[in-house]
Amino acid sequence: MTSLEIKNINKHYGAVQALHDVSLSINKGEFVTLLGPSGSGKTTVLKILAGFEPVTSGQVLMEGRDVTALPPEKRNFGLVFQGYALFPHMSVYDNIAYPLRVRRQSKAMIDERVLAALDLVQLRKFANRRPQELSGGQQQRVALARALVFKPDVLLLDEPMSALDKQLRHDLQEELREIHRSLGTTFINVTHDQEEAMHMSDRIAIMDHGQIKQYDTAHQLYRRPASRFVAEFVGKSNVFQGEVRGSGSSARFYSASFEMPLADAQTGASTVMIRPEDAEITTTAPNDGRITLPVQVISSTYSGDRALYTLLQSDGADFIAYAPARSGVFPDGTDIFVSFASQDVIALA
Amino acid sequence: MSRLIYWVSVTFCASFLILPLVVVWPLAFNPSSFLTYPMEGFTFDWFAKVLSDPGWTRPMLNSVRVALGVTVLAVVIGGLAALGVMMTRRGTQIVLSALFVSPLVVPSVVVAVALAYAFGRTGVGGGYLSLVLAHSIVAAPLVFLSVMTSLRGLDPNLDLAGASLGASRIYRFFTVTLPLTAPGFAAGAVFAFITSFDEVVLALFLADPGSSTLPIALFAGLRDRLEPPIVVVAVLLSVLSVLFLMLLNYLQKRHAAPRS
Ligand SMILES: Nc1ncnc2c1ncn2[C@@H]1O[C@H](COP(=O)(O)OP(=O)(O)O)[C@@H](O)[C@H]1O
Ligand SMILES: [Mg+2]
Repeated sequence: MTSLEIKNINKHYGAVQALHDVSLSINKGEFVTLLGPSGSGKTTVLKILAGFEPVTSGQVLMEGRDVTALPPEKRNFGLVFQGYALFPHMSVYDNIAYPLRVRRQSKAMIDERVLAALDLVQLRKFANRRPQELSGGQQQRVALARALVFKPDVLLLDEPMSALDKQLRHDLQEELREIHRSLGTTFINVTHDQEEAMHMSDRIAIMDHGQIKQYDTAHQLYRRPASRFVAEFVGKSNVFQGEVRGSGSSARFYSASFEMPLADAQTGASTVMIRPEDAEITTTAPNDGRITLPVQVISSTYSGDRALYTLLQSDGADFIAYAPARSGVFPDGTDIFVSFASQDVIALA
Repeated sequence: MSRLIYWVSVTFCASFLILPLVVVWPLAFNPSSFLTYPMEGFTFDWFAKVLSDPGWTRPMLNSVRVALGVTVLAVVIGGLAALGVMMTRRGTQIVLSALFVSPLVVPSVVVAVALAYAFGRTGVGGGYLSLVLAHSIVAAPLVFLSVMTSLRGLDPNLDLAGASLGASRIYRFFTVTLPLTAPGFAAGAVFAFITSFDEVVLALFLADPGSSTLPIALFAGLRDRLEPPIVVVAVLLSVLSVLFLMLLNYLQKRHAAPRS
């Protein structure tokens, strides 16, 4: 059930076109993340959703109603700002009570809901502090409580974790997921951190240069990337450029290092990709029909359960592969073989 | 070396600016009715005399009344102008700011002549109202600049946050913008008050005998009878100025504090 729909939005800032024909449809209660490099237009989408920026063309529909021209205060969308934007002259309590006072709720009702929101983000004992007296992570949670306390139809989050350290970021991701699950509100999150996007989202929209490159589940983005950009942006990958010779069932892919038949799902692909966990490392060439490349170990990163190898192919390109590391890792400089099955080769356009 | 330059320049400036004032002050307490040294004793008689002489108290009250009126008007006009200009785009901001500040650059005599003529033609009552209006024209730019400075220091996301939480523009102004820029408004108000309080040129052109202000009375006194009451008024004005300076200083400190 579509709740929020963005239809063919273009956005110009003077001569700069920040968004090109962006369309997205978001279901009620869904957790969607806009993921893309810095400058790809994520914040612009969020600003348009929040009502801070007019569109050049296109529409924003909320439950079928056109809200494109509605001012921010009439939208009932919660927003967590990148820098939190807490009111420095108000206590944590008053910050969270603000949207309820705006809505002229009774004192008893305000008290009840503010305390519930404080409990939700586990900050009840900081109610009387000023925001400046809290840590970054705590401020972030106050901002979250303030944006949720008035039961918004949609919660927008602009890089909510970007200012926090790694451990805190991880904890907050868990907390945010938990809150999302318990409230059932539609969340739209913006990040340039692909791990954060993969951990939290039902669906991810990959953005680049003001366009949505692909909008899908984390699994689909990882296993079925629509383009080289998506493949390289989401997870690690080994990309091979080549050419297709022949057609139909006899079509084959040729690159400088290997050739293989193309299955139906891979038709017409002149660029293919292998994920590092789909490759295997052996000291002798396996003779089981897998595609095998002779390589040399450049470096390895050991992480207990496995090691990530960077390997040098004979044509000078890198290849990265995961391998079990129960009995240690191959030293740098070792000549070994890397192999993968042709059905694990992912075709890119 | 730089310390030496520092002390020499500070001493030089201080003596240049302050010495003439300090030299005169003691004469306010001198029993003699001539403004000459050596002192013949110590007395508060001249203060009592000034404060009971309607020739001095009426202009004092007039000045306060005009300055208060100017403060209110200038804060409203200058404050609204600053808020409005901040909402426009950068290029527009530069043009509008220059426009709003221009009364500070135009010589007061020019403004005075223009207003005297205009008020005369339109029949805006000579005296109190015309003085308030005229002084506000010069005082509003000061409020404008002061409020602009504090608005520039305000995180624009705070206003957006208020909007996203459902607050109308007016509600946001009174709950977010005003509390956070109050020191800027207050400093502007103090500037406006001081400016009006010691303004001479416009007052000379526009005041009628009933609405004559303190600077005019001083001016007249200086010409007619060079006597200790003039020095007494000067001392009172100096004390007032120092108080206002301290207030401004306090406001600026408070302003700097919340931005951590
Ligand atoms: N107010 C603005 N004026 C002009 N250009 C802008 C403005 N805001 C953003 N842009 C441009 O639009 C593009 C997208 O910006 P943004 O949405 O902030 O990207 P992201 O949030 O993904 O980093 C960038 O090229 C940026 O320079
Ligand atoms: Mg951004």
